Amino acid sequence: MARLLPPRTLALILGFCLAWLALGFIVPNRYYQLLLTLVPIWAVLGVSWNLFSGYSGLVSFGHAAFFGLGAYAVTLMLVKFGLTPWFGIPLAALLGAVAGLAIGGPTFRLRGIYFALAMLAYPLMLTYLFDWMGLQEVSIPLQREHAAWFMQFQDPRAYLAIALGLLALSLVVCAAVENSRFGMSLLAIKQNELAAEAAGVDTRAWKLRAIALSGAIAAAAGGLYAMVLLVVTPGSVFGLVVSAEAVILPMFGGAGTLWGPVIGAVILVPLAETLRAEFGQFLPGIHGVLYGLAIILVILLAPEGLYWKIRDMRTPRKAAPAATPTVTALMPAAASRQPAPHGALLEVSGLGKNFGGVAAVQDVSFTVPHGEILGIIGPNGAGKTTLFNMLNGIVPPSAGELRFEGRSLAGLRPNAICRLGIGRTFQVARAFERMTILENVLVGAFVSHRTDADARGAARRALAQVGLVDRATAISGDLTMRDLRLMELARALAGGPRLVLLDEPLAGLGAGETDELIAVVRRLPEAGITVVIIEHTMQAMVGLVDRFVVLDQGRLLAEGTPAEVTRKPEVIEAYLGRKWALSHAGG
Amino acid sequence: MTISRRHLGTLTAAAGLGLAAPALRAQTREVVFAMASPLSGPWARLGELSVLGARFAVDEINNTGGIRTLGGAQVRLATVDVGDSPEKAKTAAERLLSQEPQLVGGAGAYVSSFTLAVTEVTERARVPWLTLSYSDLITNRGFRYVYQTSPTADEQAAGALPTIIELARAATGRAPQTMGIVMDNTASPVSFTRGLRAGGAERLGIRIVVDETFTPPLSDAGPVMQRVRAARPDILLLLPTAIPDIKLTLEKINEIGLGRGRLPIINNGGPMGSPDLLRLLGPNLLEGAMFITATWGLKGQEELIARFREKTGEPWMTQDSISNYGHMMILREAVERAGTTDREKVNDTIRALDLTEGPAANAYPGRRVKFDERGRRVGAPLVIAQWQNGVPVTIFPTESAMAQPNWPRR
Repeated sequence: MARLLPPRTLALILGFCLAWLALGFIVPNRYYQLLLTLVPIWAVLGVSWNLFSGYSGLVSFGHAAFFGLGAYAVTLMLVKFGLTPWFGIPLAALLGAVAGLAIGGPTFRLRGIYFALAMLAYPLMLTYLFDWMGLQEVSIPLQREHAAWFMQFQDPRAYLAIALGLLALSLVVCAAVENSRFGMSLLAIKQNELAAEAAGVDTRAWKLRAIALSGAIAAAAGGLYAMVLLVVTPGSVFGLVVSAEAVILPMFGGAGTLWGPVIGAVILVPLAETLRAEFGQFLPGIHGVLYGLAIILVILLAPEGLYWKIRDMRTPRKAAPAATPTVTALMPAAASRQPAPHGALLEVSGLGKNFGGVAAVQDVSFTVPHGEILGIIGPNGAGKTTLFNMLNGIVPPSAGELRFEGRSLAGLRPNAICRLGIGRTFQVARAFERMTILENVLVGAFVSHRTDADARGAARRALAQVGLVDRATAISGDLTMRDLRLMELARALAGGPRLVLLDEPLAGLGAGETDELIAVVRRLPEAGITVVIIEHTMQAMVGLVDRFVVLDQGRLLAEGTPAEVTRKPEVIEAYLGRKWALSHAGG
Repeated sequence: MTISRRHLGTLTAAAGLGLAAPALRAQTREVVFAMASPLSGPWARLGELSVLGARFAVDEINNTGGIRTLGGAQVRLATVDVGDSPEKAKTAAERLLSQEPQLVGGAGAYVSSFTLAVTEVTERARVPWLTLSYSDLITNRGFRYVYQTSPTADEQAAGALPTIIELARAATGRAPQTMGIVMDNTASPVSFTRGLRAGGAERLGIRIVVDETFTPPLSDAGPVMQRVRAARPDILLLLPTAIPDIKLTLEKINEIGLGRGRLPIINNGGPMGSPDLLRLLGPNLLEGAMFITATWGLKGQEELIARFREKTGEPWMTQDSISNYGHMMILREAVERAGTTDREKVNDTIRALDLTEGPAANAYPGRRVKFDERGRRVGAPLVIAQWQNGVPVTIFPTESAMAQPNWPRR
């Protein structure tokens, strides 16, 4: 893990924590020392939220569930069994991880706002549960003997040091995650979950890992919070305010960044207390209003958080460098590929899909031999995309069978199918917009490469294959349609597939750009990659594909070489209408 | 800013005294008491009533010659807002101790969990601390500087029914035979009734004939109250904690003809007697309703209450005001007797107090201020007050009662 951590980041983390600890020796009294201690504790909760929600984009309004479980676990283990918090806090972290899995398991079925709302329910539920169990107030007994063993110190700076230790640890974990395929996969999920899944990212597994790790950190924070306050009530650890703080601190500082939660805590926690101390004296409650206003103001001025605002002010975001012609940069395919063996790579038999009463695809059968470029064509609504979605597992078929290299694909999720060696691109390009081209492709490379270094190499090779090497560092949100299409193709290729499914890769491209893309696709069989392309414009495809499969109204209409297919009357009729077909039948 | 102004005030006062009476003893100075209470958040109003009581006491002390054994030193009340969470309570306590190094003693912080958090700080700083909070935990921790003037929650739960029976006997000459319970499932009624259900009522010869628990908020009190009417208990423990639920249940009781004291209804806790409840529910709905509390306006306090009303504009003194009035008086008595502001000596004095007269003793039912080794007030009986003509008045214990109980005889 340490290897993954840039030394500069590690130095910054340690530097910050030591500086904050030094503050503890400068401030005049216990009040300020307590305040200094609360900052890193809340920052740890923010880091925990950020690790999950900030990176994966799944907003959790229920992090108090983990925080509170940690607080109660440490307190109860101490009160009931006399277990020291030095063991209690790690055990609480373990409990937090288990709670993360238990909560994530069912809740990841939901998406977007529904997920956020469901998360809100867990701490509410736990509040009632702990009330019902008669744990409305639990106080940690004063230990006059062996105080340090029970984490009880006369000097508040001891708590400050422990809190900073926990903060440093959680920041190191967060930085390690950020710099590995873990963080990259989460970012990919945040930006486009479906594309991530199709690129071989096991989205469910990564999300579960993230919420478990996040739950562990939040529970540790809760455990330490209990030791500092010495009193635990359901309202104070499971309350809405706790969940809100977990969201507000990182959002304020910059969600999805390492330092965001720390910036948020360093500013907001003392601000709230100072407002209370200074203004609460004259007009009780006014501090809440001022605090709210301060948050609103900052969110309006820096909607992405202070971190990005400061960064943008120091180095304005540069526009992506202008596209350079790269057709000449096309590289020969990787030489390591085996020559294509003969026989069927993909067998589709009797495939069908009903959406309610509508049969989108009915009884479609065809085979794709190794090394072929197969075009699937048909007018709009013919069922081409549904067919593709079945081929890579996004939509389960209602009938029929799919075999890839003789193996059934039934019941496999998209990432598993990707792992078997099937890559795909989307009709509407699905990029991870805030990542660079290289990072986008890297996500696709993780699936077949164990180490991140190997994956990086594969990503570069894939970029070379499509001719995007010199654009590797451009942010994909700024790309032209041509580059997006090429990048998506590279992402599919980076996983080392034996079959790629291209969903209308030519849509939205100009004539010259179409030729470039076709040139890239044409080389794929040389590299041992079989290709299936969907298009509805036959024109461009005729020169590219070896064979066509024609769909119309969900059924297989015709199959054969371009020359055969374009002469078939039923194909002409499907494309141009019965009248046209009849009137030209004689000619 | 506040500090500097305060210091300025102190200096001015000291200079003034020095000029006016150079012969005064050298120890003449300011004595600082603290009142920590929730002044923001859901408990703000109760915290305000606490501060009113404490400030009223401090003014009285200063107007009657200050601390005599310290050459008439004036008392200054430092108030601090403990907000709405134990975290804020603890921070507030630390701030109080940092800003007031001369603090002699204090009182607060209303909500039990806040008091627990505040006393974790004051105990370590060895500041004597008085509280009206009920939780048994407060004085179960082996602390040496914390004092509880109310009966604890456990004592209240155990003592409530015997007290009610005694009241019924005093009013009607016979003990009730049957009881009903209508409550929500929040913490306080759950713990209050646990012992009653587990044989506590039976041992006192009372059968529970109707027992209804609901999850707040109640949408319709009809079905619940119909069951009460069918069972027709001798007394009804009515324990909703949310004001809308109190309102709904009382309305229904009036509707079915059991209101205005025809069915003895008893709630638990001082908030049932707050002026705000009167404003929200009106005197008719509340007429006859009773509640159990740690202290309320007692016989002998008429003159005190009249002065308090005049000074603050509050219609009567609630438990919060009276208790904290008493807390300041206890601190004054201790400092007076110790003759010093040394916290350790003041604390020893509080521990040794046994007052049966004077403003401190008169503030509490039982009229005695003596603490046992855990810091609990010895012989603290429960008080029952009843809404009569829009004012909650103490009806029990009889020797402290301000009015006769309105209890049905049948």
